[in-house]
Amino acid sequence: MSPIRVFALPDLGEGLTESEIVAWHVAPGDTVTLNQHIADVETAKAVVELPSPYAGVVQQLHQPEGVTVHVGDPIVSFDVAAAAGVEADAAPGPVTPDVTPAETPVAPAAPVAATAERTANLVGYGAETERSGRPQRRPRPGHAPTPRRQPAPVGAAPSGLAAVGTDAPAPAPSAPAPSAPSAPGAERPRSTPPVRRLARDLHIDLGQIRGTGRGGLITRDDVRTAVAAPAPGTPAPAVPVDVVAVEPAPTESGVRETRTPIKSLRKLTAAAMVRSAFTAPHVTEFLTVDVTATLDLLEGLEQSRARTGGAHRVGILALTAQALCIAVARTPSVNTRWDDAAGEIVQFHGVNLGIAAATPRGLMVPVIRNADGLSLAGLAVALADLTATAKVGSTTPQALGGGTITITNIGVFGIDAGTPILNPGEAAILAMGAIRRLPWEYRGEVALRSVLTLSLSFDHRLVDGEQGSRFLADIGRILADPGQVLALLPGR
Amino acid sequence: MTLIDRPMSHAPVRTPAAAPVAGLTETSTLTVAKAINAGLRQAMIDDPKVVLLGEDIGALGGVFRVTSDLLAQFGPHRVIDTPLAESAIIGTAVGLAYRGYRPVAEIQFDGFIFPGFDQIVNQVAKLHYRTQGAVRMPITIRVPFGGGIGAAEHHSESPEAYFTHASGLRVIAVSDAQDAYSLIRQAIACDDPVLYFEPKRRYHVKGEVVPQLGEPMERAVVVSPGTEVTLVCYGALVATARDAALAAADEGMSVEVIDLRSLAPVDYAAVEASVRKTGRLVVTHEAANSGGLGGEIVASITERCFEYLEAAPVRVTGFDIPYPAAKLERHHLPDLDRILAGVDRVLGR
Amino acid sequence: MTAISTDFIQLLSPLGERMPHADFDPWLADIDTAALAALYEDMVVVRRIDTEATALQRQGELGLWPPLLGQEAAQIGSARALRDDDYVFPSYRENGVAYCRGVGLTDLVKVWRGSAQSGWDPASVRMATPAIIIGAQTLHATGWALGARFDGADSVAVTYFGDGATSEGDVNEALVFAASFQVPVVFFCQNNQWAISEPVGVQAHADIASRAPGFGIPSLRVDGNDVLAVMAATRIALDRARTGNGPTFIEAVTYRMGPHTTADDPTRYRDPADLAAWGRRDPVLRLRALLERLGHLTPEFEAQIAARADAVAAELRAGCIALPDPPALSVFDHVYATPHAGLDRQRDEYAGYLAGFDAAPTEPTAATQPVASTPKGSL
Repeated sequence: MSPIRVFALPDLGEGLTESEIVAWHVAPGDTVTLNQHIADVETAKAVVELPSPYAGVVQQLHQPEGVTVHVGDPIVSFDVAAAAGVEADAAPGPVTPDVTPAETPVAPAAPVAATAERTANLVGYGAETERSGRPQRRPRPGHAPTPRRQPAPVGAAPSGLAAVGTDAPAPAPSAPAPSAPSAPGAERPRSTPPVRRLARDLHIDLGQIRGTGRGGLITRDDVRTAVAAPAPGTPAPAVPVDVVAVEPAPTESGVRETRTPIKSLRKLTAAAMVRSAFTAPHVTEFLTVDVTATLDLLEGLEQSRARTGGAHRVGILALTAQALCIAVARTPSVNTRWDDAAGEIVQFHGVNLGIAAATPRGLMVPVIRNADGLSLAGLAVALADLTATAKVGSTTPQALGGGTITITNIGVFGIDAGTPILNPGEAAILAMGAIRRLPWEYRGEVALRSVLTLSLSFDHRLVDGEQGSRFLADIGRILADPGQVLALLPGR
Repeated sequence: MTLIDRPMSHAPVRTPAAAPVAGLTETSTLTVAKAINAGLRQAMIDDPKVVLLGEDIGALGGVFRVTSDLLAQFGPHRVIDTPLAESAIIGTAVGLAYRGYRPVAEIQFDGFIFPGFDQIVNQVAKLHYRTQGAVRMPITIRVPFGGGIGAAEHHSESPEAYFTHASGLRVIAVSDAQDAYSLIRQAIACDDPVLYFEPKRRYHVKGEVVPQLGEPMERAVVVSPGTEVTLVCYGALVATARDAALAAADEGMSVEVIDLRSLAPVDYAAVEASVRKTGRLVVTHEAANSGGLGGEIVASITERCFEYLEAAPVRVTGFDIPYPAAKLERHHLPDLDRILAGVDRVLGR
Repeated sequence: MTAISTDFIQLLSPLGERMPHADFDPWLADIDTAALAALYEDMVVVRRIDTEATALQRQGELGLWPPLLGQEAAQIGSARALRDDDYVFPSYRENGVAYCRGVGLTDLVKVWRGSAQSGWDPASVRMATPAIIIGAQTLHATGWALGARFDGADSVAVTYFGDGATSEGDVNEALVFAASFQVPVVFFCQNNQWAISEPVGVQAHADIASRAPGFGIPSLRVDGNDVLAVMAATRIALDRARTGNGPTFIEAVTYRMGPHTTADDPTRYRDPADLAAWGRRDPVLRLRALLERLGHLTPEFEAQIAARADAVAAELRAGCIALPDPPALSVFDHVYATPHAGLDRQRDEYAGYLAGFDAAPTEPTAATQPVASTPKGSL
């Protein structure tokens, strides 16, 4: 053992962290005996006499008088070899540094390793001294945490993860000031542990799903639907019809179904689509239509209703809904669902028409069941009921499930066109723009006409471009010239 | 046999000349112990019915010097060195409260509270209820608590859950000098009995103290904001948890640290708001795991936030053992490493 | 300065004069010069243990130490009166008693180093582990004595406590129980004048010894710095107990010359004049004076005592510093006498956690159970 012993300031009483050297009673070169009174030290609790822990010659006083010293800091060194063998080692027996916390042998010329001593001095004695430097955990080679996942394990929004170390306020090196508890603005999507597990297994980001359960809870079916549906992609919707999940629940739809096995080509296409789910799942097409004739028709109907006392005014939405139902009959592929789990395409034999609605509880898509079986007046009544119910927030969960295709009327917001995002589990969604009075070609001349733009998004796995285009064109033809309905009606 | 029937004269108490000291008037840097002292002084200036009683709180100023110099300023009728009997300290505080006093009782060390336990849970906690509100018990019971000072047994206990379990008591645990000052004043001003737990191993840690009452004592505060994990703590472990959050940030994990401050009632709204955001909860305390406050918080937050949780909440606590000998306490006490292991766990790392 | 009450039995004056006492002297008939020399050695050695342990605390080798400086006569005089089959229930300052009971020097400081919570096996030295909760041990002694009475044994329980403890409910309840059941217990109160910073006047408005008769327990008040008075009184009390005459209360009037513990600062509350006055009543010096009067204080004898004290101090120091830290997992040991599933699980989990610091794992999942008491399994 080195003949030099460095003595570090111990905790002199129940959790003290520092003490002041009031007076030294020895100087370098002095010979001291064991327990000789070498200094007076003042703590927060008392002035105490410090007895020398060694017999030997004082080599160095590390701290001058009047200085406040942290527990664990070296204060004096002794040359114990100089004690001529008399109690040269004050600690006979199997001494290891671990059990002599206040003692750290160092080479005579070596600088004092204050940090190491401080750590060694902590075990069981006194409050932990304030650590200098930024806190860090001890290495645990036997336990290597898995690297931070990108994205986070479950449901953490990618943006949230990216925020770590970037725009999110990482704790500052100095202690941040206390603040009020975080505002509940940035809440996580709500779900239950098994559903989170399912979502993690299926690589579904819960932050991108709108729940259909009680109070918007994300259900197991919502996750499954999200898998089946094209994931939200680019570009971001410019209208408040962004991401909507509805319960597909074909068995609840009350509509007859035909199931066609997904054949190999379709399956391959689908796999590709799923892989690109977050990039380009949708096709969106636009069609601008002169609806002046339709508005004339609606005006006539309204006058007729005033005379006969009909239940509800028929509006452009009801007429569009009817046009959609008629067009569906000509292009059934827009009224289908991709059932990935079953490996089947589900063809709906009826239209459960979802109507996107802004409500006090947020965006909802209540459903008009068997819309294709309703008259124009019937559709108007259903729409009025549905709108009234949604506006007061009393839409039932049953009314929200089972849609097969959706209309969103962005025109009420004064918007012309957009790229609506499909409801998961559906193959098409139609957005109606605002009706504008615009200069338009009419019978070979420019005239002021009532014009609106239709935007149709469809699932390219289920709907080919030709089918989608025909479907949109059919709706456009009806709105441009309602009499065309007669030409488009299927045989019954 | 020699029997004596002779009254004994009290040994004179050496009282330094009384020098009135004003309360804290400006922002100052104080240790936690001195911050409590300043808060006590202010409360005694504000209300002449505030009296302190306890063992060694007078001339000695308390074994941790929390009541230093108060005897000199306020005299022996307001700073009372009591005989060595905890049940009597609490019981006489009840009597003082009956007379309209606002007693502040010091229990010298956490482990010594149990001789007074009966008076606390059977009398202090229940009198307001039993008298249909006719009798108030504005008693503050100060208790240094927790380990980490290398002490002998019964000097490092964390008995808070016994008291959070006893209806009728409010329970506070402070973590730094500012709260030490503000919350002792609030606790004394409160018309309910308050157990005020002081972070023994942080008594000598300095901090800035603004002479204000601050946030209401029943509010929890976010002491370190984060987005991925909510880390709930109180008392001495708040500093450890903040360190853990800093270390976690360096590893790419964002931990939000909440200092509960009030253990009864718990500010569940604050914890809930954080967990709704982070989806992950770690609770740490020095007290034993079983039956500890951590279990209560985990259960309550699970009830409230079940649908937001990404992972099962985790407790990082002392073991279910009697407080161990000093050389073993570092194993028992949650430290930065164990807390981060809990953080790893809720993050699935 | 506080007047020192001398209304007590004294057989050895502060100047070392042997004071005759008709009632007490018969109990010391066997105490010859050799016995006095042995008592002197005990007291010198115990004082040296005390100062060495205080130094070890200042040097960071002990977390805390409760000095008994000034109380050597009270402890040695009483402890040397005991039989091996008697049982001691002490407070935490009875290190002199523990020395007499045969507690090893290293075992004496184990608790204060923080290596264990009990330094010795109570059964082997017939001395309970010290009670730190003030006064609790007096009830334990009473219960032990009740058992001894049931067993028909003539062993006696002796419990040590201080003036401060007499304020605690436990001590008063122990006195009630001991009187009710007339059990063989000796209540040995070392009135060292201080409960930390509080003078005995805060605890007692009359002499402490005067309280016991109110409980139906005879009491003795002796000069606690007089080893002979203490020994005689203890022998009287023990004899009463052994012969079926129930409990006795002894107040040994002494003085705590040091701080309450090494964490205390008595200068904040104690008049230096008091300390000086009590210094003139020192228990070791007065026995030394008696030996000198008896012509026994030869240089050889003094050298022999000094060497013995030095050897004990060196052994204490070496043993203390060599005490190993207890292994980490021993933190879980002895919580229960029988296996406990919950604790076993915490131990296993903590062992796994610690193993993670040692080496790279063979199985990545083998050593990754870091947190105590959290359910295993997937999230």
